[in-house]
Amino acid sequence: MKILVPIKRVPDPATTIRVLPDGTGIATDNVKWVINPFCEIAIEEALRIKEKQTGEVILVTVGQSTWQEQLRTGLAMGADRAILVKTDAALDSLAIAKILAKIAGDEKPDLIILGKQAIDDDANQVGQMVAEMLGWPQATFASKIEIAADKISVMREVDGGLETIAFKIPAVITADLRLNEPRYASLPGIMKARKKELKEIAADSLGVDLAPKLKVKTLAAPPKRQGGRKVASAQEMVSLLHTEAKVI
Amino acid sequence: MIDFELSEEQQMIRDSVGAFARDEIRPAARPADESGAIPAPLVAKAWQFGFVSGAIPEKFGGGGDARSAVTGAIVAEELGFGDLSIAIHVLAPRLFAYPIVDMGTDDQRAKYLKRFSGADFAAATAAVMEPRFDFDLSALQVSARRDGGGFVLNGAKCYVPLAAESDSMLVYAATDAAKGFAGVDGFIVPRAAAGVTVSEREKNMGLKALATYELTLKDCRVGADARVGGDKGIDFSRLMSQSRVAFAALGVGVMNAAFEYARDYAKERKAFGVPIATKQAIAFILADMAIEIDAARLLVWEAAFKLDKGGDGLRESYLAKNYVAQSALKLTDNGVQVLGGHGYIREHPVEMWLRNARGFSAIDGIATV
Repeated sequence: MKILVPIKRVPDPATTIRVLPDGTGIATDNVKWVINPFCEIAIEEALRIKEKQTGEVILVTVGQSTWQEQLRTGLAMGADRAILVKTDAALDSLAIAKILAKIAGDEKPDLIILGKQAIDDDANQVGQMVAEMLGWPQATFASKIEIAADKISVMREVDGGLETIAFKIPAVITADLRLNEPRYASLPGIMKARKKELKEIAADSLGVDLAPKLKVKTLAAPPKRQGGRKVASAQEMVSLLHTEAKVI
Repeated sequence: MIDFELSEEQQMIRDSVGAFARDEIRPAARPADESGAIPAPLVAKAWQFGFVSGAIPEKFGGGGDARSAVTGAIVAEELGFGDLSIAIHVLAPRLFAYPIVDMGTDDQRAKYLKRFSGADFAAATAAVMEPRFDFDLSALQVSARRDGGGFVLNGAKCYVPLAAESDSMLVYAATDAAKGFAGVDGFIVPRAAAGVTVSEREKNMGLKALATYELTLKDCRVGADARVGGDKGIDFSRLMSQSRVAFAALGVGVMNAAFEYARDYAKERKAFGVPIATKQAIAFILADMAIEIDAARLLVWEAAFKLDKGGDGLRESYLAKNYVAQSALKLTDNGVQVLGGHGYIREHPVEMWLRNARGFSAIDGIATV
């Protein structure tokens, strides 16, 4: 099975994020960049499917040339080859989805697996948009994937429970947290990653309209949390909830 | 001429091993120290990294990566940052495998290296140290006497990691006591061989999670083919330089662990209304710790660099090892000190690191790059 795994580069979740004073973005000095954790889960799932059957895992990302680092890490985990769609522009989810749909049209994968969302802007849009553009079935928030020939059944995490849906390939699946635990890149895997193909394509050569439909007006840090206070009795608590917090 | 930039691969190795050390080894360290046992699933997961198989040639089932002491030092530092006992446990099979990779005969490589390419952890080890007050690497008391077509080994070894679970071990013995380092050979000895006795597990001050043993050899007879490298023998001095570099790199990891823990604690812990890190008495200690770590790492990297260039790394590896032995003790002690009373209790790992770090000046030859 040929699987396309789009990934995104994000700040390490362990990094302390500081918003620039003018609110246009975040300070990127001293930020460690990693593969978005949900994308890592998508890579792992693709590798497991490949290992169970046969096939090919192709990584793709849309970004600057430094994003190669994350593609190399994915190749070190075991992906077969990678595509970097190069652009210096900050694209919105729709533009990314259009590019991915175009790449999917060229590569003709059986399956696209991607993270359900990126931990930087938490948009949770790209997977759904790509499926719509390709006219393929989609299964979002997957926590279990079973494949029998060209039929796929996916257990999804939905509000209040689990839902299992079945469909045929080609399809789009977005990975949720509990789908798997991604592997670490092994030493031989890392040494072999350099020899694998990493193709660069200029984003504006794809003939896709990349004009942003969305503009980030300002970014702000969450307000500092105020310390709590102790109350003497349940009555006082209820009264404060009523008079001060006005929630009951 | 001078370049401290890691290659892209080395950077990835550091990130990958570092994440494993931080997320999986560190949480297991305290329970392992208390129980004396390292969880098998953790060892299995470490095995997947190919720490041992990576640098074994492809035709013997390995990854075929170039042997690099610098890369080895990077790996060792990250693992040491996680936990010293667990690090040595998972690296111990290198003690057996790498001398054979580097200096073994083709027959020995074909016979002994394949076991490291399997999916399961293959325990193996080497016996270097001897239980003597006047222990000297260049004057080993364990002897190998030529006898007919083979050798007869006699003497005692100590601090042999994983001896009880290793099917084969590499025993270093003097074939010619007059020649110093050059008179030492390595012998592949099956644990089940007649005359081999593995003692009860040693009870150590630190490294409590690492199983180490005494080994007694009494008229233990091995064939000529057990001698690593055949008639050419081995370059024992070089192997020990490699060992010192690895051990020193592990020490830098322990130092870094103590530093980061103390720093983070000092930023959180308040006294007189401010974090103690803002007090000069603490801030100076932390700054000195950071300086020591970089200094030690540079010594280690230089020694590793020399080895990778084909040099003997003798002087550099001794400098690195001795520097780390002193500063690891000092830094882990500082770690306890910055935490004050909290540093002395077992809720925090700093006391464990102090106990472990004491081993750097006491033991040798139980790690390799």
